[in-house]
Amino acid sequence: MMKLKSLMAITALTAATILPIAGWAKPLTVAIKDNLTGLDPTNVNDTLSQTSLRLVYQGLFGFDEDMKLIPLLAESYDSNEDATEFTIKLRQGIKFHDGTDFNADAVKVNIERLANPDNGLSRRSLVSMVKEVQIVDDLTVKLVLDEPFGAMIASLAHPGAMMISPAALEKYGKDIDRNPIGTGPFVFKNWAADTLEVVRNEDYWKDGLPKVEGITIRSVPESGARFAMLQTGEAQFVPGFPPELLEAAKKNPALTVEATDSIVEYYVALNNTKEPFDDVRVRQALNYAVDKEAYCKIAFSGLCKPADSIIPEMLAFHVPAGDYAYDPDKAKELLKEAGLEDGFQAELWAVSNTENLRAAQFIQQQLAPIGVEVEVVPLEAGVATQRIWSVDTPEDAEVQMYYGGWSSSTGDADWGIRPLLYGESFPPAMFNVAYYNDPEVDSAIEGALGTSDPEKRGEFYADAQKLAWEGAPWIFLGTAQNISAQSNTVTGVHMLPDRGFLLEEAEFTE
Amino acid sequence: MLGYLVKRLVGTIPVILMVTVCVFAFVHMLPGDPARLVAGPEASPEDVLAVRKSLGLDRPLSEQFIRYVTRVVQGDFGISLKTRRTVIEEIGQRLMPTVWLTVFAMAWSTVIGLLIGVMSAVKRGKWPDYLGMIVAVSGISFPPFWLGLLLISLFSVRLGWFPTGGYGTWQHFVMPSFTLGVAVAAVMARFTRSAFIEIAREDYVRTARAKGVPERRVIWRHSLRNALIPIITMVGLQFGFLLGGSIVVESVFSWPGLGRLLVDSVSYRDYPVIQALILLFSLQFILINLLVDVLYVFANPEIRYK
Repeated sequence: MMKLKSLMAITALTAATILPIAGWAKPLTVAIKDNLTGLDPTNVNDTLSQTSLRLVYQGLFGFDEDMKLIPLLAESYDSNEDATEFTIKLRQGIKFHDGTDFNADAVKVNIERLANPDNGLSRRSLVSMVKEVQIVDDLTVKLVLDEPFGAMIASLAHPGAMMISPAALEKYGKDIDRNPIGTGPFVFKNWAADTLEVVRNEDYWKDGLPKVEGITIRSVPESGARFAMLQTGEAQFVPGFPPELLEAAKKNPALTVEATDSIVEYYVALNNTKEPFDDVRVRQALNYAVDKEAYCKIAFSGLCKPADSIIPEMLAFHVPAGDYAYDPDKAKELLKEAGLEDGFQAELWAVSNTENLRAAQFIQQQLAPIGVEVEVVPLEAGVATQRIWSVDTPEDAEVQMYYGGWSSSTGDADWGIRPLLYGESFPPAMFNVAYYNDPEVDSAIEGALGTSDPEKRGEFYADAQKLAWEGAPWIFLGTAQNISAQSNTVTGVHMLPDRGFLLEEAEFTE
Repeated sequence: MLGYLVKRLVGTIPVILMVTVCVFAFVHMLPGDPARLVAGPEASPEDVLAVRKSLGLDRPLSEQFIRYVTRVVQGDFGISLKTRRTVIEEIGQRLMPTVWLTVFAMAWSTVIGLLIGVMSAVKRGKWPDYLGMIVAVSGISFPPFWLGLLLISLFSVRLGWFPTGGYGTWQHFVMPSFTLGVAVAAVMARFTRSAFIEIAREDYVRTARAKGVPERRVIWRHSLRNALIPIITMVGLQFGFLLGGSIVVESVFSWPGLGRLLVDSVSYRDYPVIQALILLFSLQFILINLLVDVLYVFANPEIRYK
């Protein structure tokens, strides 16, 4: 009986304390979908963790809000003609949060740590081509590479190559993952379960920044709850806003919803080594058979642009490569030329989620009128890893058509093309799931890697784009837009094209 | 009593061992390569291989299992593949939020459930009975996911009384524990009602009434006490139900608890965390069962364990 009484007391207490509560704390709060996976930028793989760490850390180079490459801790760079030596001049007078100096020494420690395979850092590939880091003087370093790598500076701008305090690395060792110390606008305060808290760096090297006391990044998996947080003022910024809530958010005068171009391009990879996709006429026919405008409407509620190249417009060195205007008759003609006037059957694989399956079913419906009977096969993510990305040889690959997307996290054409369409990028090495192998495209890719001259790189990449567009290894679909929502009480929060965000200039206006 | 307890505790060892084997086998049958997930989508095959080696995933399954069991016995559950912290630390951080949420939900839903149940039974066939049972049926029928979102849009967005989610102050507890407990309260109410009606027919209740014992005493002292035995079993079972329900509720209210940890871990193929969590959940079930048996004795001292 005693037990029952005390239980009643607890309940009564709970009931009695239901009262309105006053406003919530003031740091800028960002609600994101997933948990962060770690705080060591060189050892995390997901965009959300990487981009959150931009609060604490900075790289030699970085990106502005349009994902254009800008110098950050570096002031300028120089390189030799064949892209094997890069001399980088550093900015003066910058200190890490622990008070130690940022200098050539620090750069050497960081790049050597990342490049050393013994450290097993997941972002090693960004600098694995660096043979040696030479200290020229206190504020100048020279990177000497094993082989030409024209995308070096873009690689250094990737968040995985951000600079960690060498003193902290020594002090914390592997625990640097819990004690991040960089040069960024905010100083690490706490990371527990699903919340990262950082506070303003009083000695930040950019004048007048940051303007908020601190930032809290909270992971809130349920999209309805993220929207609710924005409405109640518990959060001020939601990057990656759920499209299904877009209309509701637009109706709220206290919120601003924005759709910006992304660098995520969607396509259906066609297995170029398997019949009938080994015939370029068939691949082109499929491209003519799909209405890309309609695709954008169906798959992304119109928040998408039809693709005009193998890489999205926001990526450096993009050129419009062409247009497969919707033309089912031409598609039929091409199929007939290829001897397939009766069409054929194929499986279309897609990693299972609502968005993907809707898109895949759209493709299925578009290809039916030209006699191509597509069976949509949803794959759970783990299964996809096994059946698509871990296949040992092209002969073993069972994939016929695969619906997917790609985001080039270095903001450079190299990472938008080489992993997907280079002849040496077949799975499991990389992600050329179309098993596309065109010697001309390959030599353009190699040419671009072999020079550091932006103009020449641009020419090579223009060739690669035009050639691969004609070769049609994929059904080119579209580039999705990013949606973000923010409270009108803040300014200076930006969504990046790679689905990350920049908060350095964030400011409360009220 | 003590002897019985020890015997029951020892008896759980083979069960736990069986659970360990099953969990290990199931988790390793999940498709997908954790080494690739850890190394990341842009890692080279050599990097993936190195990760696989460092995780011991390149060894034969039997060897991995023996290694796993040896370590678990020593209290070492390994390192989370996702965060690279120890599993103990990872679970430790999430344990209390879930425990508190469950306890709160359980506490108030049991009390409310009992009250409604008793009221319905006593006023059987009258309007309080109908009202109580309508409430109970609705409580069972509400999907917690939908109820959670409904509460958020009403009490957070419209009225601004409670935060939409998260963990910290008592305000954070109200909506999640309500969402979690509402179904349990409903089940408890229905169950209490029928147990109570059953007991009201018993001879000793009739005798008590005949002897002129006040009605209130008949209800609380004679009837409820005896009705408590099946109700305690129910509470035990519902506790297990709450653990399952907390997965949904924790996701809706972004509650940093074990349920969400499990969801995250499964999607990331975080083997060590999944294994430890399932072991923990099984252990919890075993302990709750044990606790229920012990509580019987307190509810009815006539039950004696040999």
